[in-house]
Amino acid sequence: MSSCCTPPTDTPTARGTMTVALAGNPNCGKTTLFNALTGLRQKVANYPGVTVEKKTGRCKLPRGKRADVIDLPGTYSLISRSPDEQVAMEVLRGLRKDSPPPDVVVVVVDASNLQRNLYLVSQLIELGKPMVVALNMIDIAQRRGLNVSAEKLQKELGVPVIPVVGHKRRGIAELKQAILDATVAPTPDWPLPEAMREELLLVGGGLAILDSDEQGSEFGVQGSAKSEDASGIRRLRLRGSADADRPGLPQRARLDTYKAIAERLLIGDRAADLQRIAAQEPVATLLSNASGRLQTLGIDPMQADVEAHYLWIEGVAQKVLDPGAPTTDDNRILSYAPARTLTERVDAIFIHKFWGLLIFAAIMGLLFVTLFWLAKPIMDGIQDGIKALGLWTTSHIADGPLKDLLNDGIFNGVGAVVVFVPQIALLFLFLAVLEDTGYLARAAFLMDRLLSKVGLHGKSFIPLLSSFACAIPGIMATRTIENRRERLATILVAPFMSCSARLPVYTLLIGTFFVSYGPLRQAGIMLACYALGIVAAAGTAFIFKRTLTKGPATSFILELPTYKLPQISQVARQVWINTKAFLTKAGTVIFCLSVILWAMAYYPRLPETRIQSIRQQVELSQARDRIDVSNSGKPDPMAYSRIPLVQKLDAEREQRVAAAQAEYSLSGRLGHLMEPAIRPLGYDWKIGIGLVSAFAAREVFVSSMGIVYSVGEVEEGKTADLASAMRSDRYTSGPRAGQPVWTPLVAVSLLVWFVLAMQCMSTFAIVRRETNGWRWPIFMLVYMNALAYVVALAVYQIGSRIV
Amino acid sequence: MKACDFAACNHCGSPETCNLNQLGIGCRGSVLAVGGDIELRRRLLEMGFCNGAHVEVVRRAPLGDPIEFRLRGYHLSLREEQAKYVRIAPSA
Repeated sequence: MSSCCTPPTDTPTARGTMTVALAGNPNCGKTTLFNALTGLRQKVANYPGVTVEKKTGRCKLPRGKRADVIDLPGTYSLISRSPDEQVAMEVLRGLRKDSPPPDVVVVVVDASNLQRNLYLVSQLIELGKPMVVALNMIDIAQRRGLNVSAEKLQKELGVPVIPVVGHKRRGIAELKQAILDATVAPTPDWPLPEAMREELLLVGGGLAILDSDEQGSEFGVQGSAKSEDASGIRRLRLRGSADADRPGLPQRARLDTYKAIAERLLIGDRAADLQRIAAQEPVATLLSNASGRLQTLGIDPMQADVEAHYLWIEGVAQKVLDPGAPTTDDNRILSYAPARTLTERVDAIFIHKFWGLLIFAAIMGLLFVTLFWLAKPIMDGIQDGIKALGLWTTSHIADGPLKDLLNDGIFNGVGAVVVFVPQIALLFLFLAVLEDTGYLARAAFLMDRLLSKVGLHGKSFIPLLSSFACAIPGIMATRTIENRRERLATILVAPFMSCSARLPVYTLLIGTFFVSYGPLRQAGIMLACYALGIVAAAGTAFIFKRTLTKGPATSFILELPTYKLPQISQVARQVWINTKAFLTKAGTVIFCLSVILWAMAYYPRLPETRIQSIRQQVELSQARDRIDVSNSGKPDPMAYSRIPLVQKLDAEREQRVAAAQAEYSLSGRLGHLMEPAIRPLGYDWKIGIGLVSAFAAREVFVSSMGIVYSVGEVEEGKTADLASAMRSDRYTSGPRAGQPVWTPLVAVSLLVWFVLAMQCMSTFAIVRRETNGWRWPIFMLVYMNALAYVVALAVYQIGSRIV
Repeated sequence: MKACDFAACNHCGSPETCNLNQLGIGCRGSVLAVGGDIELRRRLLEMGFCNGAHVEVVRRAPLGDPIEFRLRGYHLSLREEQAKYVRIAPSA
């Protein structure tokens, strides 16, 4: 408990570096202000144990002082229960071990949305910390005919109020000065019902007596927990007001501190510092008696508290607005803005029943095209570049394991990570623009109905759409979903969307085994694959809603903020921060898994004797072919040209060696090992190898089939050799000896597998990063693959009985 | 006399009360009470649905849900299943 053990000499000014927490509602311009305060000296990390981002930065203050600024998650309240808000509350109250308790709280207030922003301010006042108000968006308020006076607000609140314009850096110097001059706001006399005041006095007095008894060890708790429990109120009291214990302090001020604790307890605030006290006797009885008495009077303490705060706010708002403002008419609260605002006029089109959907479709279309096609050449370029770089760096190294490790392991692994950067950067470019302009909330508004039916959120749309290009940026985009359960559900179903890496597999299988179907029906099969993914996503999300992510009705409370022009610097920063986070957090896992997969396909090496014997065998059969050609009866002038070139013979030999090596390697053995399990699905060990290798990325399935079938490197669009090799492959032994390995049914079963299975290490890595643990990626791996197995099994088994 | 075009709204100008989700587009009213479980109630109250605040129904999403409201000078949207917990006294 650092807050109470801090020696008095260690004051902010004495240390030279103080801790400043930046609090505010969502959409109040807090992040812009944070950037203006801290510039580029920022760090982004995660709060341990939760998936909430922790942003901190350094800021130079006047008089040679410095401050560590914590940018808290946007929050409407200090009591509500979303993880974001809980983190914000815990940091502010100094309840998190990973964050020092703030010395000063800077609260950003959106002047154009004064009342609701002041609600958070009213709660922060009760915190009893030195505070500064940064009054933002005065210009927007002015355009609506609202002149918010900073001086008057300062007088009302009793703390410095500084007008700021974050992106123009206006008011920043003044704000920095004010941080040094911050004062503790006097607690207003909330206009609570009289009965509630009495109860607060009663409970507060009770707490005071219990607290003084505790020194005489009379506090009614048994056992070893006693001392810790007993000091609970004391600690809290100290935190509430640092001076509470100073000798000579009027009795009345002490009682106020206890009353403040009583108020939090009575309104149901169960923050970590209160849980123990609230559950403990006789406090619990004291509380339930008080609530019971209030209930008989028809008073709900929580509601009375919020209403009292808003009553106070309404009074303050009336005083700080210029007399010209229309605050006294019949709609005193509703109509701050007499004329239709620009935002309202834009929304009349942007969320119009017809035009709104059309614009939405156009924007989403652009997003999809960007991710799906625009990013592709850049991604290919990056991969080729890294490959070339690898070959260039290793050109002086002799052929052997080291060279292969560098090229196929290390450089390939780096490529596997960096290849995602274009898509991620482009997606976050889009997201930042959409979020900063305020359109993201509109998109969620438009789509929510569609997605809420299966337990998702309007904001799930963009992540799911992006997942059709690739699940990695898609899952990263779920960060815009505030509700944790809906975010988790979106993450869990996003990989069902057929990503671009599945496309080469679909093309190979459909092109090879449904030749007779014609292009139209082939396209139909392809569409069916996409549809199956969507159905699976909707179905599992629907089930999750009732099981895994079940809970009280999610409160979809979506603010539709004022439209704003995006700031280029803010957008660039978002892109940079998120790309960097991907490279450092998920990139390392992807790289390691990539090297492991390479090693699995590389080791153990085929013994030299085996390689020789394979080469001899191949040479022998090649020679036999040649004799066949030359002995084909009549002298044939063209016969010579039919003899394959030496290079081609060499290549064929090496392809056979590579195939044997693939079978001999760990993943090859795994393929054999898996065969009994995958045989009911119609797959043989060769497909097993393909499935193992596809974990690197699904499209690798195609190239590893190329190796297994000894047709060498399979280039995009040139799968004819592989296709014919697959079609003519027959079982050589076992009950199915002589039968073809591949039938259209096997292909369908494999298509189903590829649609449904989670077999992408990068997705695994990104889910681990985004959910901050191994639990959900492992769950995802298990449930998706189980589903894929069951459905593919059903398809093959039922299919083979019908056909 | 109906001032809106929403079929479920029968309350314009009448002294009766209704739930917020029943209020038609363009209609206004003031908050009487907020129901629902404690978390939802707290959230709605904290967003400003209290003290008789005036609320206006701005529009519904193209698919009918959620509903956009204006109160205390800002816009927010609620799903039907939440809006129904806000009891309203409609005003003309």
